[in-house]
Amino acid sequence: MVPRLVIGLGLVLVFVAAQAAFTIGEWEQGMVVQFGNPKRIIQEPGLYFKLPVAQNLVRFEKRVLTTDAHESEYITLDKKRVLVDHVSRWRIEYPLQFYRSVRDRIRAMARLDDIISARLRQEIATHNFLDLIREKREDIMAIVTKDTRETAKTFGIEVADVRIKRLDLPEEVQASVFARMRAERERIAKRYRAEGEEQAQQLRAAADREREVILATAYESSEKLKGAGDAKATSIYANAFGKDAEFYAFTRRLQAYEKILSNDTTLVLNPDSELLNYLQSPGSSPQASE
Amino acid sequence: MADGWQNQGGSSPGDELLQGLEDLKRTIQRLTKGAGVWLIIAALVLLWIGSGFYVVGPSERGIVLRFGAVVAETDPGLHLHLPWPVERHVVVDIGRVRSAQVGYRPSGVPGRSGRGSGRTIPQEALMLTGDENIVEVNLVIQYQIQDPVKYLFGAFEPESMLHSSAEVALRSAVGGNTIDYTMTDGRLEVQEQAKRALQSLLDIYQTGLFVTEARLLAVDPPNEVRDAFNDVVRALEDRDRLRQEAEGYQEDVVPKARGEAAQMVQQAEAYKAQRVIRSQGDAERFLQILAEYEKAKSVTRDRLYLESVERIMPTMEKFILDSQNGGGVVPLLPLKELSAGETAAGAVASQEGR
Repeated sequence: MVPRLVIGLGLVLVFVAAQAAFTIGEWEQGMVVQFGNPKRIIQEPGLYFKLPVAQNLVRFEKRVLTTDAHESEYITLDKKRVLVDHVSRWRIEYPLQFYRSVRDRIRAMARLDDIISARLRQEIATHNFLDLIREKREDIMAIVTKDTRETAKTFGIEVADVRIKRLDLPEEVQASVFARMRAERERIAKRYRAEGEEQAQQLRAAADREREVILATAYESSEKLKGAGDAKATSIYANAFGKDAEFYAFTRRLQAYEKILSNDTTLVLNPDSELLNYLQSPGSSPQASE
Repeated sequence: MADGWQNQGGSSPGDELLQGLEDLKRTIQRLTKGAGVWLIIAALVLLWIGSGFYVVGPSERGIVLRFGAVVAETDPGLHLHLPWPVERHVVVDIGRVRSAQVGYRPSGVPGRSGRGSGRTIPQEALMLTGDENIVEVNLVIQYQIQDPVKYLFGAFEPESMLHSSAEVALRSAVGGNTIDYTMTDGRLEVQEQAKRALQSLLDIYQTGLFVTEARLLAVDPPNEVRDAFNDVVRALEDRDRLRQEAEGYQEDVVPKARGEAAQMVQQAEAYKAQRVIRSQGDAERFLQILAEYEKAKSVTRDRLYLESVERIMPTMEKFILDSQNGGGVVPLLPLKELSAGETAAGAVASQEGR
């Protein structure tokens, strides 16, 4: 019967040990509570013991936690309505204070959300909408983070940061934004097309100008060439005909007669004329009279 | 994930233990006085120690916890730690590249090709730009676990933290730039800004995650205004087309003008040459005649004259009037009527029909 007793005693010991011993993981922290009174805070991981039955253990998260709030409507300095949704990261730094003031995570989140929303509302109300979406975003987040951090300290919470996640316009305002965007695009499209026409006209005008210049230049040089030809010809004629100007006048006149006197010309001749003088007196020849 | 093993580690090995003790008790009762008892106990002890063996895969890292506290980080290979309940291990894959999406969710096959491979989520994808426009953005993030200890114990639900931080970073980057910049030239810049912001947030939150890549898949105007944006693209095309057409006109007109000019100049050259050559011919002809004329001036003169007259006169209408006899009335015209009537006094009319 001795082994049975040993085994029984052993089992009791194991049970008591299981009640007394506990481990705290890397991800958590604990608080030993004795009949409702916090006795001990454990923040380092490891194996710990407590009185069985009389004391019990409350565990808290040690990792960084997230509160992702629902978006709500705020009003900016220039009276625009915006939908803002913020997210905050925080850690339980002092489990005792945390346990006393907010008790658990869910309640802590709700409290934080209230604090941040109030602070954010105040901050957004002092900024214009455009500043809000552009350069002031970071500043606002920094201010809200700082103030929230102060307030949250009283809950044993350390706030890492508060960030504005979404910052949107309410649906009815979106429609007018879209209308404005459309108008803006139409303006840009018009400008591009007008620029195209501008460039095209410039190019065409330049082409026309170039053509005129080319043709005029060609006309100039062709007239020069013609003039040179005429001059050359004139000098050749002058040289040749100058040898006997009177004979040239004679032959050239004969040539001219052939051209200018045509079939329908009526000629009135005097019988005394040189051509017909033999008709009346065959004796006197022009040579003789000359 | 971290939660899962925590619960399992706390409850199921405990049940096993109770089960084991129950078994032990029954076995002892059955084999009250045998050497086998000790054999079985020895085997169980061996099994217990053997439960401390674990394998770390090639791209993995092992973390050993002694009573919940990290005592070792182990490399790939076979390892042994003190058996439960003293030590436990967690294996984390640090080589695998994971991905997260902002603005859309991939559908079915994990396609990374971008738009169309998933379903957009308007609340996430639509955001305000710095010039108060609204743009639709899809972002895909590739990340790895860089520090397994931080990943496990630094932040609660690191993946969801990554997702919301990515949204914060992306919206802040897009909000700091104009819509045109974000959609065109600044795309890479915005992408880079978002990546940098995301990494710094992840570091602050002790997630142990490392962003290897953040890529903007789509930066598009929202459906409501897409037509207007497309029209701008068309207008750009129109501008280029108009310019091309004008250049075409230029390339058509100028060479033609050059051709025409060349023609004019050539014609002038031809005229010039022709004038000179002809004048030389004319001069030569004259000089040759002149040479003969010098030899017998009077005869040649008469001959030339008469030859010309012969050539000109035959077909012409001719009247011969004696200036002495009919001096007073002679040049009264029209002569044709006179010749028709044959009434003219003292006139010798001779008409030759054609």
